[in-house]
Amino acid sequence: MPAATHAPAPEADSGHRHAAPPAARRAGRRLSRAWPYLLIAPAVAGGVLLLLYPLLRAALISVQHFRMRELIRGGAAFVGLDNYRELTAAAEFWAVVLRTFAWTAVNVVLIVGLSTGVALMLLRLGRRMRTALMSVLALVWATPVIAATTVFQWLFQSELGVVNRLLAGLGLDSFQGYSWFANGTAMFGVLVALVVWQSVPFAALTLYAGLTTVPVELYESARLDGAGGWQVFRRITFPLLRPMFALITALEVIWVFKCFPQIWVLSQGGPDGATTTLPVYAFKIARTLHRYDLGSAVAMVTVVVLAAALVGNLRRMLAQEGAET
Amino acid sequence: MRPRRIALNAAALAVLTVMIFPVYWMVVTAFKPTADIQSETPALWPARPTVEHFATAIGAEGFWTFWRNSLLVTGAAVLAALVVSLLAAFAVARMRWRGRGAFIVAVFAAQMAPWEALLVPVFVIARDSGLLDSLAMLTGVYFMITLPFTIVTLRGFLAAVPAEIEEAALVDGCTRPAAFRRVVFPLLAPGLMATSLFGFITAWNEFAFVNVLIIKDQGKRTLPVWLSSFRDVFGADWGATMAAATLFALPVLVLFLFLQRRVGVGMAAGAVKG
Amino acid sequence: MKQRLLAAAAALALTAGAAACGSGEPSTGAGPTGLTVWIMDGSVTDELVERFETDYEAAHRDVDLDIRIQAWDGIGERVTAALASTDPPDVIEVGNTQVAQYAAGGGVKDLTDKIADLGGGDWLPGLAQPGNVDGRQYGIPWYAANRVVVYNKDLFAKAGIDSPPRTREEWLDVTAELNKGGDQGIYLTGQTWYVLAGFVWDEGGDLAVRDGGRWKGALDTPQALAGMDFYKRLQALGRGPKDADEANPPQHEVFARGRVAQMISVPGAAARVLEVEPGMEGKMGFFPIPGKTPGRPGTVFTGGSDLIIPEASAHHDEAYEVLKALTGEKFQSDLARTMSFVPNKTSLAHVLGSDEGTAAMAAGAAHGRATPNTPDWAAVEATQVIKQYMTAVLTGKDPAAEARKVSEAITATLGGGS
Repeated sequence: MPAATHAPAPEADSGHRHAAPPAARRAGRRLSRAWPYLLIAPAVAGGVLLLLYPLLRAALISVQHFRMRELIRGGAAFVGLDNYRELTAAAEFWAVVLRTFAWTAVNVVLIVGLSTGVALMLLRLGRRMRTALMSVLALVWATPVIAATTVFQWLFQSELGVVNRLLAGLGLDSFQGYSWFANGTAMFGVLVALVVWQSVPFAALTLYAGLTTVPVELYESARLDGAGGWQVFRRITFPLLRPMFALITALEVIWVFKCFPQIWVLSQGGPDGATTTLPVYAFKIARTLHRYDLGSAVAMVTVVVLAAALVGNLRRMLAQEGAET
Repeated sequence: MRPRRIALNAAALAVLTVMIFPVYWMVVTAFKPTADIQSETPALWPARPTVEHFATAIGAEGFWTFWRNSLLVTGAAVLAALVVSLLAAFAVARMRWRGRGAFIVAVFAAQMAPWEALLVPVFVIARDSGLLDSLAMLTGVYFMITLPFTIVTLRGFLAAVPAEIEEAALVDGCTRPAAFRRVVFPLLAPGLMATSLFGFITAWNEFAFVNVLIIKDQGKRTLPVWLSSFRDVFGADWGATMAAATLFALPVLVLFLFLQRRVGVGMAAGAVKG
Repeated sequence: MKQRLLAAAAALALTAGAAACGSGEPSTGAGPTGLTVWIMDGSVTDELVERFETDYEAAHRDVDLDIRIQAWDGIGERVTAALASTDPPDVIEVGNTQVAQYAAGGGVKDLTDKIADLGGGDWLPGLAQPGNVDGRQYGIPWYAANRVVVYNKDLFAKAGIDSPPRTREEWLDVTAELNKGGDQGIYLTGQTWYVLAGFVWDEGGDLAVRDGGRWKGALDTPQALAGMDFYKRLQALGRGPKDADEANPPQHEVFARGRVAQMISVPGAAARVLEVEPGMEGKMGFFPIPGKTPGRPGTVFTGGSDLIIPEASAHHDEAYEVLKALTGEKFQSDLARTMSFVPNKTSLAHVLGSDEGTAAMAAGAAHGRATPNTPDWAAVEATQVIKQYMTAVLTGKDPAAEARKVSEAITATLGGGS
């Protein structure tokens, strides 16, 4: 253990607790009180310069008349809350907000549910099968988003796609030449499949690692008490891993809610707006219509909506951390 | 017990097949001649395997430059995020101070940042400060994108290292930095590597900012740009795109296989400590 | 100034490792002027670029030309960013349906006073009009290409068809005859919207019309609906996917497999077919898209490119010289012959070779049209509403209702511009 090595400490440090005179001790305490702030300073500086500042600029743009001309030439005029007014007056916007919630809910439920299943499965598998499955999960996680999205586009092609081929081969003739990308619900389904497929590895591997920390004895005694598999999960596994489930769910909510490249590449939010979520909506407005002002307003609303959705989580976090101090 | 075992393994096999199929299809397509890719009866195995698509992908203009840029930008961003996060995570995990709760919540909230919507403001800021066409600016953005998650994860790893070990070192006369360097750091190293993986994947994949921050000096573009370059007015060269995607996934994969076991454990430790 | 400091500090503080790579090469007064030209992927061959670069630099010792081929992916964002930047490329190729949008955005140099110098009297209208906003010429026509029918001679012979159809009705009959067994009569994807535009124009309709001062989507007129109906009948005579465009999968690759009798494409696609399947050599024929009457081929969408000079370029005069060379007779002849494109001036039509493909294209080009002449049209294209409308109708939705919906969407986009 390196802890046992006696290292001579530099003079000026507060390490020599017993020997230091009172004045030095007080100075030391003041220094040690400054330490945490010094330690977080770089992170805070980074956040302020590279996140908060651009965010404030975006907020500024959202109250300006800022389109292609203003982007190129500058001189954007202040228009107050006009953009927000325009946004909230549009029926499409509210439909998009609702759709974003549905999108997030469907994906997160599937991701957390399936990942739990896969994690429990990993726990029970033999060594070789487990290694194989874990390697495959790693492989999927490592596949670049753009590459994975392109492959899915390819898999679900209506005439030459292998999915229709397989389904038709299974006797489901109606899938012969089925146009996945033409139907809103089908498109939504393909996107859910893609996002769930990409997200399961991270959640499953993490949950599995969590499961391995649960002492085996707990399971055994529960089984001796005659508890079935589901009861064991509900009474022992889940309560023990509750913080972990909470964290993963919160992270997945954020990631799925903000999910953009997959949707954009596969459907551009179509057909007929059926897959337009808030980030896609913001991008569409900003980048294809060059309404940077309105797009920024959407982004601001997105942040607020997301924060509101997770406010319980944040509050619990604050309370928890506060209790520790 | 036997039938259960079989059912379990069958289920695992089914999951495995479904998960791997898209990746398998990507690799197989990369090895098929173009004429076979458009076949109406897609073959599960390339009848006439070819490496021509890999040749196209590697032969593309600027391939090695993009490769170098990607490694440089991703590496620098991840490294910077690790160092900065380590300091912050230490403060959060080991010290008690006013504003600590607020800081943690802010870090968590920072993950909600709508990066796609920040393209325009970041572009404007970069332009007005003469930082267009600069890898440094790109690195800074990637640093910031990966920072919040890195802090959250690292804090978990740190919390998993018992504070008592560190205390013991302090009692033995080590200074705080020395105790950290000699005692905590060795225990933390696997966690650091695992955390870097996530940042690596995120930064390695990013392409939207390259498109608006690197404009004229195209020698500064990164690999994702190359990945989408096998597409012209006639359509995408799927074989080359799939070959490029395969090559693109390789570094992450290698890193992953190398670090795999530690990743989950660390995440778990962090999450359980909450 | 404050912003500059902040951002510079951020970059310095956080990325010391990469900072060394951040400096560009400054152009010194002594050396030749460096000029950057952006050309789209597929517009020119590498050989042609090199030839132009060498010739140009030999003639202009004081210029160092850097021609960069641009990938299509994300090009809209890149050009916008370039126009808004302080150090943009000096000449940029932009699609003729995009140019008006950039010009209206205010980042493009006005070249109205150069029209005479460039010989703009007989520019192709399909290229010159979109480059002209409010009477000022910003985009200079570069080249055009329009679509023809490429057919498989073997399959035509097998079906006993010895001459190409000359009217639309004949075309449907012939295609139905070709659509037998494993062969497809035509491979027409569901979202090839400029083919639809041609049919709509032939029926006397339009994509959008100007009504008073305002643009209105017009796909819900009886004429436009008739065009869509014809598209649907034709599309059904093959197995083109209804929910994709012709680039996805690339239709020339599907055609190259030899089981597709016809596809609608620019003649240049024939070369692509041969790259995939050299065995198709000599088996491809071409004819103009048939119109309603035998005497007149169908109206086609004139696709093509314009060249622009960004306002922020530091070398307007030098850039103009390059642009002039690229749009001049010598390079235009070279470009048209090498790439099977239509040159930017009607007076240069003679440089086109006499091969079947270009002949068919020239016959069609006489009836070429451009998309509605408003800077906001590019936004309509970007939102993909027309493609989605086509897919909806082809998959069995009510055409009239869908047409009303898409027209409203187009009206909204054209009304909400800058």
